Amino acid sequence: MLEIKNLKASIGDTEILRDLSLSVKAGEIHAIMGPNGSGKSTLAQVIAGHKDYIVTAGSVQFLGKDLLELEPEERAREGVFLGFQYPVEIPGVNNAYLLKAAVNAKRKHNGEAEIDAFEFMQLAKEKMKLLDMDPGFLKRGVNEGFSGGEKKRNEILQMAMLEPRLAILDETDSGLDIDALKAVAGGVNSLRDPTRAIILVTHYQRLLDYIEPDFVHVLSQGQIVRSGDKSLALKLEEQGYDWVREAANA
Amino acid sequence: MNVADLDSDLLKKAQAALPADTLRAVRESALPEFLQTGLPTTRVEDWRYTNLAGASALSQQWLENLVAGTATAKTRVSALPSIDAHCLLIRNGVVDEDLLHNIDPAVAKVLSITRLRDRAAAVTADGPLDSLNAAMLQDGLHIQVNAGQQLDKPLVIFLDDGGNAASHTRIVIDAEADSRLDLIEYHLGHSADPHFANTVTQLALQQGATANIVRIQDRARTHIQVGKLAASLQSSATLDYASFDLGGQLVRYDVMADIQGAGAMVRMHGLYLASDQQHIDIHTRVDHRVGPAASREEYRGILNGRARCVFNGKAIVHKGADGTDAEQANHNLLLSDKAEIDTKPELEIYADDVKCSHGATVGQLDKSALFYMQSRGLDRDAAAHLLTRAFAGQILNFLPFNTVRDHLEARIDAKLDELLEEHTQ
Repeated sequence: MLEIKNLKASIGDTEILRDLSLSVKAGEIHAIMGPNGSGKSTLAQVIAGHKDYIVTAGSVQFLGKDLLELEPEERAREGVFLGFQYPVEIPGVNNAYLLKAAVNAKRKHNGEAEIDAFEFMQLAKEKMKLLDMDPGFLKRGVNEGFSGGEKKRNEILQMAMLEPRLAILDETDSGLDIDALKAVAGGVNSLRDPTRAIILVTHYQRLLDYIEPDFVHVLSQGQIVRSGDKSLALKLEEQGYDWVREAANA
Repeated sequence: MNVADLDSDLLKKAQAALPADTLRAVRESALPEFLQTGLPTTRVEDWRYTNLAGASALSQQWLENLVAGTATAKTRVSALPSIDAHCLLIRNGVVDEDLLHNIDPAVAKVLSITRLRDRAAAVTADGPLDSLNAAMLQDGLHIQVNAGQQLDKPLVIFLDDGGNAASHTRIVIDAEADSRLDLIEYHLGHSADPHFANTVTQLALQQGATANIVRIQDRARTHIQVGKLAASLQSSATLDYASFDLGGQLVRYDVMADIQGAGAMVRMHGLYLASDQQHIDIHTRVDHRVGPAASREEYRGILNGRARCVFNGKAIVHKGADGTDAEQANHNLLLSDKAEIDTKPELEIYADDVKCSHGATVGQLDKSALFYMQSRGLDRDAAAHLLTRAFAGQILNFLPFNTVRDHLEARIDAKLDELLEEHTQ
């Protein structure tokens, strides 16, 4: 589904991703772990199409398409979803309005009719119940005045409504208490599907207790330096990242 | 291009060409005051950003036509938007007879509506443009809101100008004690010919009276407009004013509220959307002469292309006006590096016990918000529209009544689409 080959990306004069390769197939859950500054969030932003990051080499194929050629909104409509580490507050833009516009942008792209208002509300309320979210959040400005946990739930709500083929969740666990973490993990697990792939970008192993990954990759200095199964995450939890760095530099 | 002084002989000849009606004395007494200064030039501090050379040339042309007898009263007529309100119309300064006579009879119990030619004594002028307006006045409306009364629905006055090179329109409103008026002052004029419109609204609010005024300025992009609202408030009177500038080539609007009685409340809110080479200059002034009284003011602007806007908001707290509570804010979004805003909130305080605040901001579209929405599948234009609409919506929230809300939202959406079509940063 996603083929990243020898990817290099910079912000300004600083190269952050240095020859990164990763292959993700439908139905798989990959966890990308690594210390701060290793390039985890950059990878997520580059896949989503953030213009501040310049790709200097390599390729990213998504379902056979050259993802790097597409605008961020085209990537979204093709089925790429990025759950933001820091969801943006947009005062005055109604949460339900954005959600509906997002659903309809994708439907239009797929040649489908727009969702009608009633069907939309039913669907949104159903997904919100699953995430233990008050329907009142639909009426508020996008993430406006939401707590950290509420913002992350809102990200998962958007993901659940958009049903992406590939979801990249950037530090979705950071700043969550245990109840919020369980609700978010429940939302992600409900989307587990043989046709869908999920990439979890995380600093800690904790999230992986609730969402079990098929593969764990360790990112260090812009490269994947170790790949393995979930036991790798446990080893990182016990031993920290130093041994990975040392092994990489050796 | 400098502002050419209007020739005093030409002005006098043009005055002589106007009918010998009751307004003649008003016109003749206003002319010397205008001639003292003539049209303001950019050397005058209050006019430093706004050049009236175009207005001067159009005035000259119009005066010559008046003298030659070729300034026709009848012009190309604009389609009037459908609004659920009692309707009046002034075309090029002349009151439309049909709408005046066909107004709902129930209105007569609440409002005494007179043509200014029959109420000439009500005209007062202050300052050069106001004096020029009075010096060339042919007609206009006087509206008295009877004490303790209010209409079942708002009154809309359409100002449909164009065809002639210039027009001078005046509306005088006297709101008696404890009355209430919901008014829409709707400026249009879809004629593509260049036009200079000079409008004045005089508003006197007696004790406990309320005026809720929505001004919509949606003129053709060939229009130059200079306008003024001069309001005075007695004790416990309220002025709730919301203004929307969407059209025009060059617009200068002055909003002045003079608080003369304790317990008065002034709310002034405005939105200006300027694209291409539009020039919109807004000056506001609140005089707090007595306290306690409060004023709340917020203007917002969205500029693109080579638009140029000016916001100058002045609050003066006079000696003895203790208990004054004044807030003022101006926020701007600049979508192009060639657009320019000059914003200047001013506070002058001569009293001791006051609470005053003011502030101004100039910013761009939030790039992280744009990317966030794009990552959800919205294209950049749609995301930019939502962001600008949300910014403008903060002023729509201040509409004093809802009659025109849907209409206004549609006009603002259309204007934002037009504005965003230009290349944004």
